Amino acid sequence: MNKTLFLVDLKANWRVILFVSLVFMIYVLTSVLMYDPDSIEKLEQMFTLFPEGMLKALGFDTLGTDLNGYVAHYLYGFIAIIFPLIYIIVIANKLIAKHVDSGSMAYLLTTPVTRVKVAVTQAVFHVSGLILIFLIDIGVLVLLSSAVFPGSLKLASFLSLNFVTIMTLTVAGGIGFLFSCMCNDSRNSLAFGAGIPVAFFVFKMVSEIDAKLEGFKYLSVFSLIEIDKILADPAYGLGVGFILLGVSVLLYGAGVIIFNKKSLAI
Amino acid sequence: MIEVSNLTQVYRSGKGVFNLDFSIPEGEIFGYLGPNGAGKTTTIRNLLGFANADGGYARINGLDCRKDAARLQPMIGYLPGETAFLEDMTGAEFLKFMSDMRGTGDTGRRDSLTERFALDPRGKIKKMSKGMKQKLAIITAFMHDPAVYILDEPTAGLDPFMQNVFLDLLEEERGRGKTVMMSSHIFEEVQRSCDRAGIIREGRLVAVEDIEALNDAKSRTYAVTFADPADLGKLDGLQFRRISSNRVEITVGHDYRSFFQTLAHCSVVGLYSSEQSLEDVFMKYYGRNGGTDE
Repeated sequence: MNKTLFLVDLKANWRVILFVSLVFMIYVLTSVLMYDPDSIEKLEQMFTLFPEGMLKALGFDTLGTDLNGYVAHYLYGFIAIIFPLIYIIVIANKLIAKHVDSGSMAYLLTTPVTRVKVAVTQAVFHVSGLILIFLIDIGVLVLLSSAVFPGSLKLASFLSLNFVTIMTLTVAGGIGFLFSCMCNDSRNSLAFGAGIPVAFFVFKMVSEIDAKLEGFKYLSVFSLIEIDKILADPAYGLGVGFILLGVSVLLYGAGVIIFNKKSLAI
Repeated sequence: MIEVSNLTQVYRSGKGVFNLDFSIPEGEIFGYLGPNGAGKTTTIRNLLGFANADGGYARINGLDCRKDAARLQPMIGYLPGETAFLEDMTGAEFLKFMSDMRGTGDTGRRDSLTERFALDPRGKIKKMSKGMKQKLAIITAFMHDPAVYILDEPTAGLDPFMQNVFLDLLEEERGRGKTVMMSSHIFEEVQRSCDRAGIIREGRLVAVEDIEALNDAKSRTYAVTFADPADLGKLDGLQFRRISSNRVEITVGHDYRSFFQTLAHCSVVGLYSSEQSLEDVFMKYYGRNGGTDE
């Protein structure tokens, strides 16, 4: 870890973090404010007007009847994945591959900071930004719901769901980071490092449209965000989360090792 | 002290560097000459520890350039051939960033260099001209007072006045016992500032010579136009090549006396000195010593 480099990363990327946090927050606010224990039924009646496949793809097929279920289905089927995913894939490329592509990596490496330290710092920044986005938005959600519906949000199951969601995103981030470390130009880094995570997202959506397409869920890490299962059994979510954490560490670690060993044309 | 031994790195294109062998003792300015694409930058990538060699090694002050790269960096001042700074920083922010990364606290040398090169570092790097960026790159390479300088075409983009400021600075650093490796494709620059020069062509080091010896071998070519084509018959004592019926290219080594004496008897209406390209100089140099006289 190198503090100077971390702060430079923050200065260069805080706008992206802020932007993603704010867009995410709009949905957080509406999810809580739209929640009305009495009108859930009405809302579900309204949803019967929409094609079933579309509702499923957007995660609106079953709106929970309590605040947890409602918020979770509203946010964690789509919103809480797609916006942080944008941050993850844009920044993964910027942290390593773009510096190698442009040549500015030469300046980072003509200092006493080792390649491993440079890469580890970039990896830590990548994950920190993601966690920051969630901290901001979960914080707002928890505060808002305790103000509007005191005692309604079951924290343990809600946090378990967030843990799994964040960890699926660090797996996606690890893939982005790995390709950022492997590729010598932004073009290839983005093709794979953004392409694969986006494909995960698309596969998850497709798998939920129709029972016939359900098989696609095995092609996506995001299918592991099984909202109802995790809310019912937070310990299960914790287990899934820790496995994903292990996978993430392997992916980021592989990126660091490859970057340390590779021959750079800078 | 820079040591390159049997260094080989081959790219997929088949280009690269092959079995490079040279060393630069402390206190020497070594010019590294070659046309674009000859392998200058590849050599430098190995000296900085960026690239993995396929064979051989590069060492600076006894440390392996690749394995001990991070330990070596405080001793090295590097100026990249194509400078790419960090986005969105001002010049001053970038200099501070590099100082912080290097852990050098002293800002005196940075400030005196900034003044010397008349750089206003307050503007955004993105908005800087090529010359300003080059100044910034020079200050970055020199400000931590390293023992060894590795400079990839350091005067590119500088106006003639600033080129002089830079070459004076280089002279001073030599006086302070620094080791310098400087790549260039401009012969005059190397001739002026270097003690020795290595010449690389198509990835192979074709010669390492004292600048003195190169100067002796150096000759100049003049394009001469005559009013009377018959004058061409009077040029027997000179080395010349006919371009058209009344125009020749005369190559002069040291013997300017016979050059002027001969021309004095001719109806010269035009005389142009053509800058010798590096390639010309070495073709001639090797022509004389290697027996492949054209």
